[in-house]
Amino acid sequence: MGSDPLPELHMRSSALVLWFFVVGTAVGLAQGDRGRVQLRDLDGRAIRPFAPTGRANALFFVATDCPVSNAYAPEIQRICREYGPRGVECTLIYEDVETHPSTVQLDQLVRTHLRQYGYAGFTPVVDRDRAAATHAKASITPQAFVIDRSGEIRYSGRIDNLYAALGKTRQQVTSHDLRDALDAVLDGRKVPHPETEPLGCFITDPALLRKHDHE
Amino acid sequence: MSRRRLLFLFFVSALVLTPLVGHPQSQRAPAAPQATSTARVTFAEAIAPIVYTNCVTCHRPGEAAPFSLISYEDVAKRGALIAKVTESRYMPPWHAEPGYGEFVGERRLSEAQIATIAAWVRQGMPRGDEAKMPKLPEFSADGWRLGQPDLILEMPLAFDVPASGPDVFRNFVIPTKLTEDKWVRGIEFRPSARKVVHHALFAQVPGGSRANLDGADGRPGFGGLSAVGFMDRTDPGLGGWVPGAQPAMFTEGIVSRLPKGADLLLQVHFHPSGKAEFEKSLIGIYFAENGGQKDLASVQLPAVFGLGAGIDIPPGEKQFTIKDSFTLPGDARVYNAFAHAHYLAKQMKAEATLPDGSTRPLLWIRDWDFNWQDGYSYKKPFILPRGTRIDVTLTYDNSAENPRNPISPPRRAIFGEQSLDEMGTIGFEVEIVNKAEVDAFHDALASRNKVATETASKNGTLGRLLARGLRRNMQQLTIFDRQGSVVTRLGEVGSYSQAAFSPDGSRIVVVKNDPDTDGRDIWAFDIATGKSTAITSDAPPDSAPIWSPDGTHIAYVSDRDRTNAIYRRAADGTGVEELVYTHTSGAQLILTDWSADGRFICFWSGETMFVLPLTGERKAIELGRERGGRFSPDGQLLAFNSNQSGSFQVYVKSLEESTRAAAVAASAPPGSQVSDGPSVGGIFWRRDGKELFYLSVQGGQGMMAVDVVGTMPFQTSAPRMLFKLATPVLAPAQLSNVASPDGQRFVFAVNVQPRKPTP
Repeated sequence: MGSDPLPELHMRSSALVLWFFVVGTAVGLAQGDRGRVQLRDLDGRAIRPFAPTGRANALFFVATDCPVSNAYAPEIQRICREYGPRGVECTLIYEDVETHPSTVQLDQLVRTHLRQYGYAGFTPVVDRDRAAATHAKASITPQAFVIDRSGEIRYSGRIDNLYAALGKTRQQVTSHDLRDALDAVLDGRKVPHPETEPLGCFITDPALLRKHDHE
Repeated sequence: MSRRRLLFLFFVSALVLTPLVGHPQSQRAPAAPQATSTARVTFAEAIAPIVYTNCVTCHRPGEAAPFSLISYEDVAKRGALIAKVTESRYMPPWHAEPGYGEFVGERRLSEAQIATIAAWVRQGMPRGDEAKMPKLPEFSADGWRLGQPDLILEMPLAFDVPASGPDVFRNFVIPTKLTEDKWVRGIEFRPSARKVVHHALFAQVPGGSRANLDGADGRPGFGGLSAVGFMDRTDPGLGGWVPGAQPAMFTEGIVSRLPKGADLLLQVHFHPSGKAEFEKSLIGIYFAENGGQKDLASVQLPAVFGLGAGIDIPPGEKQFTIKDSFTLPGDARVYNAFAHAHYLAKQMKAEATLPDGSTRPLLWIRDWDFNWQDGYSYKKPFILPRGTRIDVTLTYDNSAENPRNPISPPRRAIFGEQSLDEMGTIGFEVEIVNKAEVDAFHDALASRNKVATETASKNGTLGRLLARGLRRNMQQLTIFDRQGSVVTRLGEVGSYSQAAFSPDGSRIVVVKNDPDTDGRDIWAFDIATGKSTAITSDAPPDSAPIWSPDGTHIAYVSDRDRTNAIYRRAADGTGVEELVYTHTSGAQLILTDWSADGRFICFWSGETMFVLPLTGERKAIELGRERGGRFSPDGQLLAFNSNQSGSFQVYVKSLEESTRAAAVAASAPPGSQVSDGPSVGGIFWRRDGKELFYLSVQGGQGMMAVDVVGTMPFQTSAPRMLFKLATPVLAPAQLSNVASPDGQRFVFAVNVQPRKPTP
C-alpha cells in the first residue's frame, strides 16, 4: 500500500466545497480498498477488518509490550461485550512485527498475550506487513477505529480520555470517545468527534529498523 | 509524657541510584540542540550511553518498567516514544527542580542529552558501530542486594491486584515477632509483582494495634492511603521504596528503633496493569548494633501531614494555597527531605531564610505527581543555624482542568486519607546538633503537632475522619451470649457505632450515622420490641452516648460552634436538652462512663483522661495519659486503657489514687495490669463488681473476662476469652456499656455485608 494523498488534502481543506470533495474521495477510496486489506487470524482464516459483515467493526491496534494498550485490555473487553450484541464486531490488530519478525514466535506471543490479558472470544490478527495500520493511518497503540457497513472509517483515535498525557492518567474518565462514536454509528448519527489524538506507544515502520541492520 | 524521637526515614536513604558518570559520548554531545541535529547521532556511540546510565535500572527484564531498553531493537522500536517522554520529562521520573537542593541519585537528563535523543530519532535511528557500544551495566542477580538480612518478613497472605480499575492502596500488617528492641539501619523491599507495585512505605506500629482493621473486608490488609501510621504521631517511619531505587542502607549514623513485638506496616500503591496479579512482598531488615549517637527529629511543615492546616479546597479553585513556617529552635543538620500530598497538589516548595537574611532553596516540586513520591537525600547534608525560618508553600488545583482531579465535576476537598481528600506536607529529617538545644527542639515540634490536632478537632476535621471510617462499612446491632452466639439482631442494617446497654439491660443506645449528610444522631432501641427512638435529631454531629446510672438520661457529646460540649436528655427522647459541660480546649471528647452514684462522668480527649464531677462547679479533673475509663460499681476503682508499656493494656487503680497521681507526677505507674495482650476498649464491670470484661485486639478482637478476686490490693484471675468477634468493631476504645449488667449479654454494631438485591 502506498501512501495516499488524503492527509495533505485534508489539511488544506478549509473551504466547505473542498471538505465535501475530501469526504467524497475518502468514502470512494475506502469502498474501493476495503476488501483488499486482508489479514489472517492465528488459525489462518482470512479477516477483512475494513469490510464489516455486521453493523460496524471496532478495530483496536495493540502491541503486546505497550503498557498503555495493555492497561486498556479490560476496557476493550467491556466495550466489545457491550456492543457485540448490537452488531459490532471487534478485531484486535497486533503491531509487534518489528521486535518479533518470526511468524511462529509472534503467533505464540500473541496467544500468550490473549490469555494473560483475558481476551477470550476475540479475533486477533497480526499486521505482518503493516497493511492495516497503513490503510487506517494508525500510528499509536492503542488506537481505535470504527468502520461502518460501507467500509468508511467513521472514528479514529483514543478509546477514552483516561490518559491526559503519557504518565498522567485521569483519576476519572470524562470522555468516552469510542463508545460515543459507536453509539452514533449504530444510531445513524454523525460521530461527534470523528478524530481524537491517541496516546500510547508509536507504531514504528519496520523498514526503518531493517534499514540500519546492515550498516 | 515520655518523649519519643520522631524518625521519618522516608525513601530517602533507599534512593541511591547509579551516579551519573561522565562517558565519552555524552561529553562529546554538543550542548546546543541545533548543533546536535546536524551531527550524526548513532545508537552505539550516543544513545546507548544515555540509556544504559539512566534507563536500564528499571527498563530491563524482571524489573518494574513495562519494557526493556537493552538492545538496539528495544530502543529503536520506541525511539519516537522515548524522544517524546524525555522531552516532556516524564522519563526518567524525577520531580525536584534543579537549583532547589542537590540530591543523591537524581534521575534527570540534561538538555543536551534530550536533544541528542531527538536528533537520533529524526535521523532515522542509525545503529552505528557496534564495536563502540558501551558495556551494559552489570546488575546483581536476584536475591538480596544488600546481603543477607538480619530479619526477613513476608506478607502473611498474598493480595490479589485486579486487572483494571482505580489504583489500589493497601496496608499490610506483618508481625515482626521481635523479642527485644532493635535498631534498623536499612531495609530492602522485594515486591513479587513488580509490574503493578508502584511504591511502598514502611512504618512500625505497636503489635496488634491494627488487628481490628486487618482483613476486616475479607481481604488481606486494609485500605486507605494515609501516610503510614500518620495518626499515631509517635510512629517512627522506616522509609519506603519506589521503582528505580537501588536498595541502600540509611544515611550513615541514622538508625530507627523497631520495638519488641512491633508490627511492620507496609503500605503498597498498586497500579492495575490490565492483567490480574498477586503480590506477596518480602522485606529484608538490617539491624545496627545500637541506637547511634545522633539526636534526630522530623520537621513537618505543615505539621501532621497538614491535619490542622485548614485544607478545605472549594471545587473549581485553581490556586488554593497553604503556607506554613517554622523557626528552628536549635542548629539542625538537614539530611533528607520528603513531600506528601494526594492528587490535587500542584506545587510544593520549601525555602530557608537564615538569621543573616540569606536564603537557601530546599525543595521545589513544580508538578507534584502522587505516583512518584520520592524521598530526597541531600548530596551534602548542611547545617541550618538556630533562628532559621523554613517557609513552605503548597498549592492545589481543584478545577476540572486538572487531569489528576480524582472526581468530575470537582467537589470540595477536605483533609483526609481517602483519594478524594487532600493532605500536604514537606518534611525534613534533621539532626539536632547541640545537646543543649535537643529538649527545646522536641518541645517545639510536639507543640506544633498538638496545635494541629487541636485545630483539627475544633474545625471538625477529626470528627469527619471518624464518621468516614464508620461509614465505610454497614453494621447491624447484634446481641451475643457469653459463647458468642447471636441472641438477636436489632433494627435495620445501617451505619452504627458505640452501642451500649442501658443499666437495666432492656435497651440499647447507639450512634447512628447518616451516610448522605455526615450527620450523627443518638438513637435508643428497645430490645424486647425492637422499637427505636431518636434521642437527638439535630444538625450538629452527636456521639459518645452514656446512660445515667438510673437509666433515665443519656449524656452525649455534641460538636457545636467548633467546641465539644457534653449534653444530656431524657432517655425516652422527650423533654429538652441540657448543657452539662463545655470543654475549654483540645480534641474531641469521648464519654465512657457515668458513675453508679451519678456524681461523675469519665471522658477522654486527645491523649488525656478526665473525671468530671457533676456537682459543684463542674471542673474536670485531669487523670493522665489514659483513656476509656470505667468506674467500678462501688465507685472506688477505675479500669482504663494505657499504652505506657508500648501497647494498649487494661489497668485498674483506685479513683483516689488516679486523681492524686495525676496531680503529683506524670510518671506514676499505670496501676494493676489486668490484660495480658494488646487490648483496647470494651471495658465493663459486672454489676456485682466480681467480673471485668474488655476487648483484646490481638489476632482479631475477642471479648475477654477476668474474675475479680481481691480489691485490697486489686487482684484478678488470668484472662480468659469468652468469644472472638468475626469482624472487628470500629473504634473499640469508645465503647461504654458493652455488656448487660449481669454480664450475660454483649452488644456490638457488627459489620455486615450489604444485602445484594434479589433479581
